[in-house]
Amino acid sequence: MARTISYREALGEALAQEMERDESVIVLGEDNAGGAGSPGEDDAWGGVLGVTKGLYHRFPGRVLDTPISESAFVGAAIGAATSGLRPVAELMFIDFMGVCFDQIFNQAAKFRYMFGGKAKTPVVIRTMYGAGLRAAAQHSQALYPIFTHIPGLKVVVPSSPYEAKGLLIQSIRDDDPVIFCEHKAMYDVTGDVPEDSYTIPFGEAGVVRDGDDVTIVAIGRMVSVAEEAAKQLAESGVEAEIIDPRTTSPLDTETILESVENTGRLVVVDEATPRCNLATDISALVAKEAFGSLRAPIEMVTAPHTPVPFSDALEDLYIPDAQRVANAVKTVVEWKR
Amino acid sequence: MTDTLSTAVSHELDGNALLDAYRTMRTIRAFEERLHDEFATGEIPGFVHLYAGEEASATGVCLHLDDRDAIASTHRGHGHCIAKGVDVKAMMAEIYGRRTGSCHGKGGSMHIADLSKGMLGANGIVGGGPPLICGTALAAKQKGTGGVGVAFFGDGASNQGTTLEAMNLASVWQLPAIFVAENNGYAEATSSTWSVAADNIADRAAGFGMPGVIVDGFDFFAVHEAAAEAIQRAREGGGPTLIEVKFTRYFGHFEGDQQTYRAGEVAYARENLDCLKRFRARVTETGQVEAARLDAVDAQVADLIDAAVEEAKAAPKPTAADLETDVYIEY
Amino acid sequence: MTVGVVANPASGRDIRRLVAQASVFPTAEKANMVQRLLTAFASVGVTRALLSTDLGGISAAVLRALRGRRPGRDGGWPDVVFCDDDAITGTARDTTNAVRRMVADGARLIVCLGGDGTARVAAAACGDVPLLALSTGTNNAFPRMREATVAGLAGGLVATGAVAAETGTRRATVLHAGVADRGETALVDVCASRSRHIGSRALWHPETITELFCTFAEPDGIGLSSVAGQLCPSPRDEPEGVALTLAPPEHARWVVHAPIAPGLVVPVGVDAWRPLPVGEPVEIGLRGGVIAVDGERELELTGTETATVRLCAEGPRCVDVSAVLAEASANGLLRTENQVAQRKERQR
Repeated sequence: MARTISYREALGEALAQEMERDESVIVLGEDNAGGAGSPGEDDAWGGVLGVTKGLYHRFPGRVLDTPISESAFVGAAIGAATSGLRPVAELMFIDFMGVCFDQIFNQAAKFRYMFGGKAKTPVVIRTMYGAGLRAAAQHSQALYPIFTHIPGLKVVVPSSPYEAKGLLIQSIRDDDPVIFCEHKAMYDVTGDVPEDSYTIPFGEAGVVRDGDDVTIVAIGRMVSVAEEAAKQLAESGVEAEIIDPRTTSPLDTETILESVENTGRLVVVDEATPRCNLATDISALVAKEAFGSLRAPIEMVTAPHTPVPFSDALEDLYIPDAQRVANAVKTVVEWKR
Repeated sequence: MTDTLSTAVSHELDGNALLDAYRTMRTIRAFEERLHDEFATGEIPGFVHLYAGEEASATGVCLHLDDRDAIASTHRGHGHCIAKGVDVKAMMAEIYGRRTGSCHGKGGSMHIADLSKGMLGANGIVGGGPPLICGTALAAKQKGTGGVGVAFFGDGASNQGTTLEAMNLASVWQLPAIFVAENNGYAEATSSTWSVAADNIADRAAGFGMPGVIVDGFDFFAVHEAAAEAIQRAREGGGPTLIEVKFTRYFGHFEGDQQTYRAGEVAYARENLDCLKRFRARVTETGQVEAARLDAVDAQVADLIDAAVEEAKAAPKPTAADLETDVYIEY
Repeated sequence: MTVGVVANPASGRDIRRLVAQASVFPTAEKANMVQRLLTAFASVGVTRALLSTDLGGISAAVLRALRGRRPGRDGGWPDVVFCDDDAITGTARDTTNAVRRMVADGARLIVCLGGDGTARVAAAACGDVPLLALSTGTNNAFPRMREATVAGLAGGLVATGAVAAETGTRRATVLHAGVADRGETALVDVCASRSRHIGSRALWHPETITELFCTFAEPDGIGLSSVAGQLCPSPRDEPEGVALTLAPPEHARWVVHAPIAPGLVVPVGVDAWRPLPVGEPVEIGLRGGVIAVDGERELELTGTETATVRLCAEGPRCVDVSAVLAEASANGLLRTENQVAQRKERQR
């Protein structure tokens, strides 16, 4: 039975259902309960955005607060994953990868290959990305391309409450290390989500909207931006097909290529900064594999090559919006040799 | 009398256990000395960091461990691997980059691991291991196995944030973790007396609310005794301990290091402090083990290392088909 | 007028921090103590201080302080000379080397910062030069807990001869433990233990001990001598010592609950004890164990060797801080009196 719940609730429900199902699942991170050692409530926060609220009492001993010490607890989650637990660690902001990246990309990502296929590291690192909350340069970045670059990591970027729940359950059950990127402006977004547990497989893109005139590939929160643009475009008779890759590693290249072969036009919408991001990666893929199908140059809609600014006047310019997507679509649709 | 104290004499090893300890130390020494020679022939690829001189540390600690216990190691990891029971021939093959190696030739000297033995890997990143050990210790605690995690790290890693963070977390969570700081005097070419601002690495323990002790790293019995206390304490829920093991490495930071930064301490240590010499002298003069049995171990170990090198050299290298396998379990 | 100060960087770091809750004595505090000593020395006329060097940071901290001293604002110090002629080994040999150099260089007092172990090594090397042992270690049965400035004043007064050595020092007794060509000297106690190895040195399993010999035994002592202190006390200033035969507590005639290390109060079984006269050699029956001196395992016994213990009256001359300062008070050594004329001159 589906009902309408928020992205936040969908994530919390996924965690609770997996913790119920599998005793080896534990949750750890800064203030994941909140209030450890403090005089007041001992489940004060449930994570900085409340995703893990309530789990502390429901699963005694399995929700662990940590010091603000990302190298130690992200590393501990990785170590515990090699020793039979399925930890879900919360790296509060994706920007904080800077203080614990070694444990992620030199340790977790490498174990299986480096140890000749003998290691299993089923760890999930949930982390918050994206601009829009006036959080400025160190708390707003869309850094999933950096993780996508690293062989050995899987990278998930859910675009809706439905995606969030199914992909998080899949992440927890997956035996490889998963970086699970939640957009900070989406926690209150609501949508239909089944009550029962379900998984969405990795590497299978969702076709969010059908259309024959142009393919829009959008990542994470950009899916909803693309949908808004598609509505406007439909009014002028342009039908866009929107593809949500859901996971940037593995990437469902087949669905993207099939769509471009049909539409002959590609716009990629990526909130990340423009160098070596998903837009360039997917564009290169299509240029190489579907060159003959292209009827126009590929357009990329991304953030500018700058840090994320603080002032709302600037941040609103920074984030790709529906108008920019619509303009890009018009460019490719109207393009003539 | 408390339980901790009543185990006093049980720390003392019987003849067979002494022979096992000797075999482990001798195997490490022979493995490393042979690698030193083989490296000079140019046949061994990459970077090799040798553990010779430090055998008493890995052996004295790991003799207390079993398969429920995990260790994390360093770039100087061959000794820890051998002491934790990783197959010596597979290790040698790995160092030669062969498909028959511990990691099928994909890891090399700095990444030998065997998770089935609780050997979480040598580690190419200085300070990479301690956070991981918090995790294995957490898993042991959550599952109630009685297992412990041991992070071996060097004087260089003692200055890394990861190590300090891990000690803090281990103490906050009261984890069954043991931090073994192997202070061999140099981080690469830099003296630990310069790079470690605290006077002893062990002194940092106080800052993390755990006991910190210094032991003579050339003395197997000193390490074995301190490790016994720390590991038992951890198994019984007493929390983490920092043990600083002081000694000298016999070779350079890596093979090929001219070691112009050193004085004559290696010759002195080999002559006067060597862990194998001291061990042999003590167990024979007390009559616990006959010299002939130790000689037999020496011969067996020499044969094992000969065979390991011979087999490694003859073994096939990985092929193109292996290049892209084992990145993921499923992708 | 020269004195020597030897400070052990390694004292207070052994396994007793793990098996008990022994304190960690920070290096910075050892360096502070050296500086307080220097201030005290200068005030009683010591002109030159020889300091040991170490890689643990004590001598480095003193050197930094020396370079940072502000003329006219900070009080005077004696000329400081670092004894750095011997290579540092990180072992007890460093203490021996430093003390020998200081004595050869004319030191009239050796101050030693460490625990029983350091004092023992310094005592063996200082010959007839007065010894002032200050506690910075774990077990401190021998060195008294003394504030360094006060102790430095007393030591300085003895060194300069302002207080005669006969008044200001006490000759300690020592125990010589020997086996074959190896020997150790204990200031407080010697014991034989069934433990087979020196291992981590400290001895905290009394059930392994078969025999115990003490130069003195005080009821308020710490360490193994506290066993005798609670059963058969033997004052510090009497030459006679005491010898005990130990047994497992369940079979022993007496069971003493003794503080054998900081944080460890354990039952120790004693079957017999007797006074130990000076000069009597006692053979130890144990084979294949170890001999511990002042609570640290030092000599490993083979299966065939016999160790011998003997109490000797010719131990180090130890500065008696209380006696020296009482003498200073009686003789006005640390005070002056202004004449009436001088006072009037200043008032004007």
